[in-house]
Amino acid sequence: MFKNFNIWFVISIIISSFVLIPILTVFSSFFDDTSEYYELLKNTFLIEYIFNSSVLLFSVLVLTFLIGTGSAYLVSFYEFPLSNFFKWALILSFAVPPYIYAYSLTAFFENYGTAYAILKNLFGDGNYNQSIPKFDGMFGAILSITFSLYAYVYILARASFLYQSQNLIDLGKNLGFSKFKSFYKIILPSARPAIVAGLSLVAMETLAEFGAVDFFSINTLTTGIYNSWIAFDDLAFANRLSFFLLLFIFALFILENLSRKNAKYHFNTREGLKQKEKLKLYGTKSYLAFMFCFIIFFLSFLFPLSQMLYWTIKFPENFFDIKIFELLMNTIYLVTISSFILISFSLISNYGNRVSKNKILNTLSTLSISGYAIPGVILAIAFITFIAWFDESVIKSFGILSIKKIFIGSILGLVIVYFVRFYSLAFNGIKSGYEKINISVDESSYLLGYSKRKTFMNIHIPFLRNSLLFIVILISLEIIRELPITLILRPFNFETFATTAYISASEDLLEAAAVPSLFLILIAAFFIIISSKYILRDNEK
Amino acid sequence: MKNKNFFEIKNVDFYAGGNPKVKNVSFSIENEGDIICLLGPSGIGKTTILRTIAGLEKINDGSISLNGNLISSKEINVEPEDRNISLAFQDNSLFPHYSVEKNILLGAERNKGKKDKKLNLKEIVDLLDIFNILNKYPHQISAGEAQRASLARSLITQPDLLLLDEPLSNVDQSFKEEIQVRLKKILNKLKITTIIVTHDSYEAFYLGTKCGIILDQQLKQFDDPYKVYHFPNSVEVVNFLNRGILIPAKVTGKNTLENWDLGTIEGNFIKEYPKGANVQLLLQPEDLEHDDKSNLKLEVVDRKFRGTNFIYTLKTPSNTLIPVFVHSHHIHQHEVDEKFGIKRPIHIDHIVCF
Repeated sequence: MFKNFNIWFVISIIISSFVLIPILTVFSSFFDDTSEYYELLKNTFLIEYIFNSSVLLFSVLVLTFLIGTGSAYLVSFYEFPLSNFFKWALILSFAVPPYIYAYSLTAFFENYGTAYAILKNLFGDGNYNQSIPKFDGMFGAILSITFSLYAYVYILARASFLYQSQNLIDLGKNLGFSKFKSFYKIILPSARPAIVAGLSLVAMETLAEFGAVDFFSINTLTTGIYNSWIAFDDLAFANRLSFFLLLFIFALFILENLSRKNAKYHFNTREGLKQKEKLKLYGTKSYLAFMFCFIIFFLSFLFPLSQMLYWTIKFPENFFDIKIFELLMNTIYLVTISSFILISFSLISNYGNRVSKNKILNTLSTLSISGYAIPGVILAIAFITFIAWFDESVIKSFGILSIKKIFIGSILGLVIVYFVRFYSLAFNGIKSGYEKINISVDESSYLLGYSKRKTFMNIHIPFLRNSLLFIVILISLEIIRELPITLILRPFNFETFATTAYISASEDLLEAAAVPSLFLILIAAFFIIISSKYILRDNEK
Repeated sequence: MKNKNFFEIKNVDFYAGGNPKVKNVSFSIENEGDIICLLGPSGIGKTTILRTIAGLEKINDGSISLNGNLISSKEINVEPEDRNISLAFQDNSLFPHYSVEKNILLGAERNKGKKDKKLNLKEIVDLLDIFNILNKYPHQISAGEAQRASLARSLITQPDLLLLDEPLSNVDQSFKEEIQVRLKKILNKLKITTIIVTHDSYEAFYLGTKCGIILDQQLKQFDDPYKVYHFPNSVEVVNFLNRGILIPAKVTGKNTLENWDLGTIEGNFIKEYPKGANVQLLLQPEDLEHDDKSNLKLEVVDRKFRGTNFIYTLKTPSNTLIPVFVHSHHIHQHEVDEKFGIKRPIHIDHIVCF
């Protein structure tokens, strides 16, 4: 069973087991409790939570599919004005988290909001408030999440379209298919695994979404968990809800995993990597394609950006009220420590898996990367539950002072939960880098006299350098946008751009939320632009 | 106690991923610098043998020793990096982020200053004709070039034992023979003991001091290439090397036997059989000679043009199909259904029977 027992194996087992703790905590706390809680829940909130989560999920999936696949198809197969610009501009929407989109939406359409101001400037005074549509409640949440997340589908669908074999496209032409028939008979089915993978990510993020749904006061499973913990101080209640959400998410996770296995299949053929010739569009078709992409780009990025910019300029006093430099330093601090720990441990764990080829470790690793599928709210609460239990049952029994303060409301605790949440990002990123290194490369290295450590340092690290850089950027992007974990676990008086924006917005001071939101968008956009080549996979050979 | 053989495999069962591949293998290399070729069909376990010798797979039975030192047994497994054995993989195992030159130079670091006979980069580059690809990266070169680069990296390490897995399988046919000649020359010059795995029997017979034939999970024959070719020790080896056909015959004397269709056949038996024994005689295409004047005439059922020769397939009265080799410059050519004369008396230098 432990045939290839070595130091790499031991460390990898420890890392994977550690990451699994919060997940196991949620499951175990569900089975431990024997109160009549479930009945109470079933009769009161549970149905509403599940109904709202399902409506949100279904609507966002349909919209992200249409927007993501449609725009990916246009920029992959056709040439029209600014098509090369849209190729990467469409991923800028990642810089706008759903909660900031929600603030923008409200700010623009609310009574006497930006839309009202524009109309007033154009047409003079009038009773415009009644005719301006209101995008709040469930509809607002759906729009906010859709425009923030459609890029997952866009990126994966585009990558799949881009590397689709030219032969396949030619085959469609040869069979006399129209463009539309080629699209739904050939192109779409062969990109299906990638699209499903993208939709699964959207689904997980939607179910985990906290900021936007909380802002619009929609009761979903995620907000239910947070509120039961914050409002009722009921950890068991929160854990029970988490259990339901986890079941939901694990079903999606399995679906995503299965689909990814298939996706790999058509990515690796050399023939498939042949760049296709794009068809040039003229006249109305060209105009329509341009308008489609422009509207999406405008709504997903320019609109929230300009709204936040407008408010920052309109209410300059807010600019000086918040300590931008301190927020920036706090963000850099969190990003640096978390990236370093995530990258180091994921590298070791990946290498441990590679050299020990152990089934137990492999299963543990697969389970441990499920942290990304678990909403930040659940992770944070599960972490607190675990520390509380550990403190009560283990630490205190040894007569040692409480360790709660070391982990809860501290940078250490925050970084640990970030680690669990984003471990899969780092682990999978490095894993896909490793998949490009044939195992015979390792063996050649051993046969050239290099030890395992030297192979790791001299052969693998240089090879993975670019992947590592890209992963650091992704982690940074996630941490900058992250809200619930930071909100729950941050030390007293320690704020990030995300928490500052959230606190202002929850106090109905949307104007004050504009400055941190604007900075958040700009920093995130900067990271996206410098890594767009990697995100779009244009550099893959 | 140190072993007198330079390299020895003793009663080893070879496993790949837990599945048995080749069982109870024993052979040895007496002298440093010898080249051993292992021949066998695809998937039989030849690569597994090389990987095990290199230390990449472990063994549960028997032992493997190099230079008198035990390197593999149930209890001992010297790590691959500590064996000074180099393996050139069949597939591309070059480090993808280094240029071909850097890849080769990484190999040179291993025995820096340890070996008496130096092999420098230039020599190896000339030998394998890879000058043009030195600055390229592995993904920019062809499979054949990658294979030569990988071979260069293994050679430059000047290991105690060099293992080559189908080293020229991706190299163009036109270039292959030239490389074979150069490879043999350099291996002999540097006295690098080598085990080559191949499915190309001509490559094995040319390069090998000894050849091993692996069939049905066994090392069927291990001998000089000449003996393997002319004195195959089993029907399986005959079939694998596609050496000819087996026809029934009766031993009639010390140097003769009798076949119902061909009559008396004389020659030297490589193994003694009692008079009157019924045997299966190995009849190879070059054993029979064409003679239009002969009264032993057989019907032509097929004729294959093979460049320097024709292979006629003849049918005997008892419906046995016999291959006969004829030089392609031979004037009289026979069409299908025509009669083909066989020179009598039939004389076969080495009579191989089973």
